[in-house]
Amino acid sequence: MIRGRWTPPLFGVAGFALALQLSQGIAQERGTEGLPPEAVLEVSEEHTTAVLPEMDPHWVYVLDPVFPHLIASKIYVVDGDGPRILGMMNTGYVPNLAVAPDRNTLFVAETYYARGTRGARTDVITYYDPRTLEPTGETVLPRGRFLVVPKKPNLALTTDGRYLLSFNMEPATTVSVVDVRERRYVGDIEVPGCALVFPTGPTSFSMLCPDGSLVHVRFDPEGGEPEIVDGEPFFDSEADPVFEHAAVSRTDGRVFFVSYEGRVYEGALQPEGLDIVASWSLVNEEDRAQGWRPGGWQLLAYHAPSDRLFVLMHRGGPWTHKQPGEEVWVFDANTRRRLARVPLAHPALSLAVSQDDSPLLFALSEAASLTVFDAVSFEEKGTLEGLGDSPFLLYVADE
Amino acid sequence: MSTVAMRVLDRVAERMSRLAAQRTSRRGLLARIGALVVGGAVLPLLPVDRSGRIQRARAQAFAETAQTTDPTQCNYWRYCAIDGYMCSCCGGGPSTCPPGTYPSPSSWVGTCINPDDGQAYLIAYRDCCGKDSCGQCACLATEGEMPVYRPQLNNDIVWCFGAPNMVYHCSSAALIGKA
Repeated sequence: MIRGRWTPPLFGVAGFALALQLSQGIAQERGTEGLPPEAVLEVSEEHTTAVLPEMDPHWVYVLDPVFPHLIASKIYVVDGDGPRILGMMNTGYVPNLAVAPDRNTLFVAETYYARGTRGARTDVITYYDPRTLEPTGETVLPRGRFLVVPKKPNLALTTDGRYLLSFNMEPATTVSVVDVRERRYVGDIEVPGCALVFPTGPTSFSMLCPDGSLVHVRFDPEGGEPEIVDGEPFFDSEADPVFEHAAVSRTDGRVFFVSYEGRVYEGALQPEGLDIVASWSLVNEEDRAQGWRPGGWQLLAYHAPSDRLFVLMHRGGPWTHKQPGEEVWVFDANTRRRLARVPLAHPALSLAVSQDDSPLLFALSEAASLTVFDAVSFEEKGTLEGLGDSPFLLYVADE
Repeated sequence: MSTVAMRVLDRVAERMSRLAAQRTSRRGLLARIGALVVGGAVLPLLPVDRSGRIQRARAQAFAETAQTTDPTQCNYWRYCAIDGYMCSCCGGGPSTCPPGTYPSPSSWVGTCINPDDGQAYLIAYRDCCGKDSCGQCACLATEGEMPVYRPQLNNDIVWCFGAPNMVYHCSSAALIGKA
């Protein structure tokens, strides 16, 4: 047994030495004398690790909760101009991501058990360098975090990027606040009964509540009492609830919620909270008669520079709100007119649009493929197939 | 489960119930079926409409193609609002956790119609917890399923509150009463 245990490494070393000798022998036998310099191949090269350039607006971060192996989630970095994979991060159990407005840090809310699925639980915000994709530090969330199929509004940075807000349900609902400049846990704010976080200012956020209202919270980073103001209901949470994935733009302060039946609730980020100012419908009578309705997971995207709203739409009956979209409908958010219908070869769960002036539209399918379109001409630029196991969320810079 | 854990859960359940009650309109209160199941006992989170009128209407569509004999299929009648890997395909059953995993003492409660007798039943969607994903028989049904700001009706949440740990293994659908 002892011999058996030791044999493989010894054999391995011997084998390696033999291979080395052989390769040298072959090189010697062939010789390179008299060959033109361009025909002489480099026989040894340095094995390096890639470092990414500065984050590009055309990059998209694809969060894969890996449903068949939930404790081993991943976030892929994809260059939309390929499309091609640039790198990956291992991110624990049902994570969430936030991208720093200065593009210098990626914040990932992660959960780990010491022995994989057993042992002590740790919930952390891990700081990643977006160029090396290596963790550079972490802040522990002592009250935990919300464990759920990842949804973007579980984690968000305040409008100036200073505080990271992590929604928690234990099942009492709180919001954990982390100062990302000092890399310090500030505390948990108890906001009874309401869920998700939509930052509205440097130290304020709104949350969705069961009665169809928003609650507006202003916190004191020094630990003083938070100010919590209840809003009035703006939608009927029984008959036609709004999807969790809203489109919120830090750039122009516009916010769009969409309901199961295709009603848009448009709002603005105000110092006192998120203010719903208007309501309109994505579908007209004809669309409705054909059964068109919004659905999927991250079903909305908004391009702030052109005020365009992108929505995943499918044909189906009531309670098909998680059905992937067969088309992307594009709306002018000012005139509320539909500008285009983009058919999808692979029905999509999630959508994102880059925030630059030559925007790309990303559609993520249930079959783990990412299709990239020119977000102005809607020309298909390419598809990346086999992107992980069950990719679910998309993040771009400057959202 | 230890008495301490039970007490914590009772407190959490009570708190959630109070908070949810404060924030839910009267109309919503009367219409919904919402309960947190703790340690086998159904603790109503809200005044429960036992007639289940609205839930019943929602469950009807699923029941049209449902069957009552094979819990490894997604159209098994109790799965009208389930999401995840079916414990029946993982060494367990609709109300049995696979070996070495733990039924969550908490759950959300849906209403499904048994196509054999046409009756509506309360189903506790309780996850089995403590091992990584089973990975077999993935089903997604969304009849009456609501966003997480109405957590008692949401199927994305890891329903392992109160279990020894919060790692999701598979989804079960235990019968807990008539609606």
